Amino acid sequence: MTASETSVRRSYSLGARRAAVSVVAAWHLGFDLVGTVGFWDSYRFPWLAALAWVLYAAIAVVAAIALLGEQPLRLGVWPYAAGALAVSAMVMAACEPGDVVNAADWAWGSVGWLAMIVFWPRPTWLRDLSVFLLANVVVTLAGLALAGALDPRSLSKFLVVSVGAITLQAGASAGGHALDLAARWAVENSNRTARAEAAQKAADQVHADRLARYAEVRSAVAPVLNLLAGGADPADPDVRHESAVGAARLRRLIAETDDAPDPLLHTLRACAFDVERRGVVVLFLTAGTVPPLPLEVRRALVEAPIEGMARARRQARVTLVATPREVIVSVLTDAPSLPVADGSRAANVATNVATRVEAENGGSQLWIESRWTAP
Amino acid sequence: MDREPLDRPVTLAVVEDTPVVLEGIRSWVAADPGKRVEIVASGNTVDSVLDGAGAHADVLLLDLELDNGVNSLPRIPELVAAGRRVVVYSVHEDDATVMAVLQAGASTFIAKNETKEHCVDTIVAVARDRPYVPPVMAGALVAADGQTSRPMLSAREREALLLWFQGMNKQSVALRMGISEATVKQYIERARVKYASTGRAAPTKTTLLARAIQDGLITADDIIEYQSLAADHHTRD
Repeated sequence: MTASETSVRRSYSLGARRAAVSVVAAWHLGFDLVGTVGFWDSYRFPWLAALAWVLYAAIAVVAAIALLGEQPLRLGVWPYAAGALAVSAMVMAACEPGDVVNAADWAWGSVGWLAMIVFWPRPTWLRDLSVFLLANVVVTLAGLALAGALDPRSLSKFLVVSVGAITLQAGASAGGHALDLAARWAVENSNRTARAEAAQKAADQVHADRLARYAEVRSAVAPVLNLLAGGADPADPDVRHESAVGAARLRRLIAETDDAPDPLLHTLRACAFDVERRGVVVLFLTAGTVPPLPLEVRRALVEAPIEGMARARRQARVTLVATPREVIVSVLTDAPSLPVADGSRAANVATNVATRVEAENGGSQLWIESRWTAP
Repeated sequence: MDREPLDRPVTLAVVEDTPVVLEGIRSWVAADPGKRVEIVASGNTVDSVLDGAGAHADVLLLDLELDNGVNSLPRIPELVAAGRRVVVYSVHEDDATVMAVLQAGASTFIAKNETKEHCVDTIVAVARDRPYVPPVMAGALVAADGQTSRPMLSAREREALLLWFQGMNKQSVALRMGISEATVKQYIERARVKYASTGRAAPTKTTLLARAIQDGLITADDIIEYQSLAADHHTRD
């Protein structure tokens, strides 16, 4: 999953968490606080109701901080769930027996919200919330029994409010989690699409590369094949040199697609190896570590040296000097001149590679040097 | 300097355990028209050579990898500290090996592929505490210098070393650079002297620097500059 996809998911998830925390805050301030204050005079123990309100608020703050900060609750969820049940029981105890499950007894219908944010991040939130709500039903029924209020009117009110509260609380929790799930699906879906697109692009690129290589292979060997087809004598030294050059080019094309740690060195070595098999003594010397170079630069660097190696008659000294800012490939060989005229200097502006081909040792040798300088 | 008359041949002790290589060295030494070098001792190990006839040889020619699996590199510091002039030769011609050998205090490094042409000249130069840079070492110096943040070599020295490494003779290098052959030699040797200040201190290095001042290759002021550069190279390492 990419960073942006992760952030999409996170923002969806965080949005749902914030909504849940807002519901709890609004409910506790707008309903529980109003109830506690409004019925202050009708409580048996008003301070117990107030204490319950504060305990509820404390649990809500701790749970909200953990939820929004994506941290686990330090003591686990169950002490907080037990605290919420205690709030339910405390408010019931604070009420006159006739007021249990009435408006003054605000807590038993409200603690489910608290449970919702306590259990929110857990994968088992549905089971945990169900267990809690059931436990709250049991506590409330026990409260009703202790108050001696198991009359049909109270029971039916209890049932109506319980069903309503449980539906709302479980529904909100389910909705929030569904939002999370939807975000995950959306991200997975876009991932799949992106993967398919990438695979398609890669296939296109491979195809284009293959076509380009075929074109290069053709240009590497076509001149020789045309010569031979035109009746040229394979024993003619010129034809043999053309063939050697074609072979060296093919070798380079094969070597440069290999996955070698140092592709430039690998290509040069592969060509030197082929030339050696023709009986040419190749001395290959390197100094320094080649920096990473793009394929065009590597090609521009090896083109003339490889041609020189391919045309070598008996010996070739191939050197590579590399520093982070400069790579110099040279061949000193007894080859006759390259098709590029002697003394030529070519500079490839796009790749920053300058090539020199010059006669050496009074014309008995050829010196070829390609030099890349960091832009 | 090669034409400087010798009052006696340079005495050479060779540590080499491959008979055919030793034979090669003997034949190159014998083929030298001036008979400038005389092999006084040879053997399989450093100790066997130095305990015997090689104890007072002017130059010790040391194979870096002996067949018994012994790498001679760790022995170099003690040998040079004892004032021995050590010439190391090896089949490993990568720049890391070359620089490690020079840092250890050896006078010169020769790759085995260039021993034939450069062996005798190198030994004679080293015996006189003068710098000699065979081509492979020249390549290693260029690469090493290009990797530092404060290069010690000038552009001309670099170019001379590079062409020398690429296989040209000094006359060709001179022609291509539009300078005299003597200047080419000076550029190449000065590069070696600059790098003598790096690595371990050794009496042979001190005499190399002293000789370079005497010969006018560098001035005493240069040495201070090289040493401060070398100090930088060390802190970088």
